[in-house]
Amino acid sequence: MEVNCETIKHLASLSDFAISEEQTETLTKNLQDIIKYISELDSLDTEGVEPTYQVFEMENVWRDDEILPQDASREELLAMTKEEKDNQIKVPKVL
Amino acid sequence: MKYIPTIGIECHVQLSTKTKLFSEVDNDARGKEPNSCVSPVCYALPGMLPRLNGKAIRYAIRAGKAMNCEINASSRFDRKHYFYPDSPKGYQITQFYHPIIGAGYVELPSGTRVRIHHAHLEGDAGKLTHFDTYSLVDLNRVDTPLIEIVSEPDIHSAKDAHDYCKELWRLMRYAGVTYGDLYNGNMRFDINTSLAPEGADALGTRTEVKNLNSFRSVERAVEYEIKRQTKLLEAGEKVLQQTLGWNDAAGVTTGQRSKEEAKDYRYMPEPDLPPIRLSAEFIAEELADFPLMPNDYRERFGGTIAADVLEVLLDYPELMCKLGEIDEANVVLVSNLFSSVLLAEEKSAEYLNDLPSAADLNQLAEMNARKELSSTATKEVFMKLFDPQMKGRGTEQIAKELGLIQENDLSALAAIVDVVLAKPETKKAQDDFRAGEEKVIGFLVGQVMKESHGKANPSAVQEILRKKLS
Repeated sequence: MEVNCETIKHLASLSDFAISEEQTETLTKNLQDIIKYISELDSLDTEGVEPTYQVFEMENVWRDDEILPQDASREELLAMTKEEKDNQIKVPKVL
Repeated sequence: MKYIPTIGIECHVQLSTKTKLFSEVDNDARGKEPNSCVSPVCYALPGMLPRLNGKAIRYAIRAGKAMNCEINASSRFDRKHYFYPDSPKGYQITQFYHPIIGAGYVELPSGTRVRIHHAHLEGDAGKLTHFDTYSLVDLNRVDTPLIEIVSEPDIHSAKDAHDYCKELWRLMRYAGVTYGDLYNGNMRFDINTSLAPEGADALGTRTEVKNLNSFRSVERAVEYEIKRQTKLLEAGEKVLQQTLGWNDAAGVTTGQRSKEEAKDYRYMPEPDLPPIRLSAEFIAEELADFPLMPNDYRERFGGTIAADVLEVLLDYPELMCKLGEIDEANVVLVSNLFSSVLLAEEKSAEYLNDLPSAADLNQLAEMNARKELSSTATKEVFMKLFDPQMKGRGTEQIAKELGLIQENDLSALAAIVDVVLAKPETKKAQDDFRAGEEKVIGFLVGQVMKESHGKANPSAVQEILRKKLS
């Protein structure tokens, strides 16, 4: 997979991050290095091997459908947001 | 040139679990304050782990069964990334690669079969309200469990699109997995419509109309898109692949989002949720008490109940379940009472959860068949079976207390007739009838009914009168 400045700009726009030209270059370099490092795995033959989705070999970790008290109240949670109005989280206009 | 429309539908069904899909917080936000049904998981606070609701898995099995679907032995969750304030996580937890429900089909009343491609579990997003300069976010709906049902493009008319959505609504309510409250968005439909020249191999360019929440709007939106696309194609223009909204008041679709940039959701396996593995035994156990579905009732009652009455009653699983307990000989009468009396009541919705016992209804039908209750009296007693003061006493007792039981005993009736005929004020009518004035019989029957305090069976009275006056 080839990573260039355009890739970084695309990813930043998907996540609505504003990044400078300088940051773009640094991030591109960093991500290229990471991918290069990880790509050593490509030398292995994984033909016919099931992909690993998680490493704990757990399955069917479910809970009962019962309401339990939560660790934080509505007020505490709302207080953590940048701005609130009428018990809702106020954000810049989006459409 | 003739164009053939092809329609595929995606439907989101909110599951009626007590708690959300990924945390133990109240899932029923109806009538509750904004942001009052939320947990740190809904807020996606750093380090919060999703905790999967086992009930949602069980509901998915039931929903799948209702659509004749394969239940996949192995399924798991993925993250679908997008940036929008309705999702604090920055991604939706869904099942992109390995959904829990596999292929199946839904059969419409017309007989058309719509194949189901698959259906998967996912968490809902929050709700945004837009104002002049800002938007407000309510996270009550975040992580409400959804099943997204994806149909194959097997629908070719607006009517079938309507019928498919309605049948899905019925199936999900019969399976008991949703409240099915369309007004509150418990089921939402996205329709994909394309047109292709008759006989063409490939499908045309499709548009997607999102977020329809009534069967009528589904039908109208499909009709509108077929017309709009036909016009474009006939003028030699192209249909743009677009996501559209539906303006119900104006009856038009409107551009919602441009698709200049292809979506890039960067799906990846959800590392916080171990996979689901369902054994055949587990699935069978969950389905041990699986109820009858609309088509089972159509098969069972198709020859007894008129098709139009049956289709109305099928909207109410509670009524169908009750009809299933009624003796076959009484089904027609009871189904008519349900459709023409109960459903006409203003408060019928409240009655549905507390229907009279099958024994009471059977007795009512039998009393009607024996002519002990006139049709008017039958309806009156029927409604009393819902009356908190009266019900529990049993049909016969209620009919007696209300004095509604008809006198069918011919000798008793004959005695009342004699009393009436002995009255001087009926003398002229008797003479007139003997002289051939047929219609005065009504007056005489009325006098007997009055004498019997309304309990006589009028047709029996008339018969006796005619005999005595001949």
